[in-house]
Amino acid sequence: MNTKETLIRNRWRYISFIIGFFLFVAPFALFTRAVYLMVGNTAEPTLHSVCFRMPIDWIFGGRFYSILGSSWFMAAFAFGVIISSVFLGAAFCGWLCPVGAVSEAISRSVPIPKRFRLRISDTKLTVSMRYGFLVGFIIVAALVGYKLASDQLGSICCRYCASSVLQNFASALFGDLSAIEYWQSGAIISLLFWLVVGGLFMSGGRGWCLFFCPLGALSGIAHKVGAKLGFYRVEYEKGACTGCNSCQDICPMWAIKEDRTVERTLCVNCKECVHACNAYKLLRGRRVADS
Amino acid sequence: MKTKYILGFVFVLAITLSLGAYSATLGKSELVHFWVAVPAGNVTAPMVLRGAGPPISMSPIVIDLQSRGILKNLLQPQLEGLSTHWIYNLGKKPVKIKLNLANVPSDIAVDWKVNSGFEYDEATRTFTTLLNPGGSIPNLGIDWIFHIPAYYMDEPVIYDGGLEVIDANTNAVLTFIPIKFVNGAANGSVTSGGSCH
Repeated sequence: MNTKETLIRNRWRYISFIIGFFLFVAPFALFTRAVYLMVGNTAEPTLHSVCFRMPIDWIFGGRFYSILGSSWFMAAFAFGVIISSVFLGAAFCGWLCPVGAVSEAISRSVPIPKRFRLRISDTKLTVSMRYGFLVGFIIVAALVGYKLASDQLGSICCRYCASSVLQNFASALFGDLSAIEYWQSGAIISLLFWLVVGGLFMSGGRGWCLFFCPLGALSGIAHKVGAKLGFYRVEYEKGACTGCNSCQDICPMWAIKEDRTVERTLCVNCKECVHACNAYKLLRGRRVADS
Repeated sequence: MKTKYILGFVFVLAITLSLGAYSATLGKSELVHFWVAVPAGNVTAPMVLRGAGPPISMSPIVIDLQSRGILKNLLQPQLEGLSTHWIYNLGKKPVKIKLNLANVPSDIAVDWKVNSGFEYDEATRTFTTLLNPGGSIPNLGIDWIFHIPAYYMDEPVIYDGGLEVIDANTNAVLTFIPIKFVNGAANGSVTSGGSCH
């Protein structure tokens, strides 16, 4: 499928990603700016102000005072994303998240032969790896937070942060070149995994989202629960399937199982499969059997 | 078949824990994050300051440039940074916080990057809003980026100064945190380099 077709097919999602960029990334950060204005906060908002990972780190590290203190907005945002995933699927990941959007865009726009791009077709393996990271993230947060191994372990959350890297690049792009002058090793590792390994060399460009995002992993669980309850989810109807496998090729989150049903914990409701094939439909309500 | 999934889970779990261990090493030598509270006087040894508000741990900061990550030492050895997101007033009176980096050699340039929920005067490096007892500066982020000339890189001690936290109304130094940049020190920083907030 050529670039023009991809753009047309995904036009609403790509417009949504651009809106997401303006809502969360400085120098715009319009969403955060609006909230800061309402509460009289004079700090300059950045993508960091709505960190997708720190509130999860705080919860499992027992730092509840951070959630209740001056960073309440950050926590409210992250938990809002998880709760909304029950009703809408992981739509923030699939439609708004600027971190996933950039790596996906790089994957789609840099022509690399398919054979050089990793894709795990076994969704159970992808799921087990995704939640291996989440469990590791939680263990590190707890051991550091409760000072059980704070000398041996350091923060995963802030040391390896693709959002910070993105924000620094965006600031530089809009005139503040000093934003990209300093690089710590964790930021270099994050950049390499987010854009090069996860973006260029993983099919769909969502390697970071699949294997290094705790918010995405928790949103996946929320979506699985929501789908069982009959809220928005993508359904597969076997009768309409021609067996072409385009669904598995096109899904950026590797969420199509071998029997072509959808793995909820990976799906971000991006509707790629819905656009590519009549066998997939975005539905709500409980009338169709859950896949 | 199940073995494959268990191995996948354990593989990524092990990578994550390894990254956590590596983060602990990096946190003591790259963009070290530290906590600040006033009034603590001269922080000559690790201490916990108690008063109005939460107890705050502070210590002298020693950054060993040789302990930094391979990527950092390879790609950008002459830039090093410090950062804080936490300035607390544990005293009994509201204070107007002013900051100063003491004893910076004239040929080492330091960029100050300050973002805060309090009004900040860049010229005097003063937060013009009073910080009340028990409170902290909201949404604070300060990065100090040191540009170290190449000829310093073989010196055993590159910077030996510290952060002065000053009452802007009286010019009294409320807290002084010694900061040292060294090459190959036996003692690294006591901070863990923790999280951003």
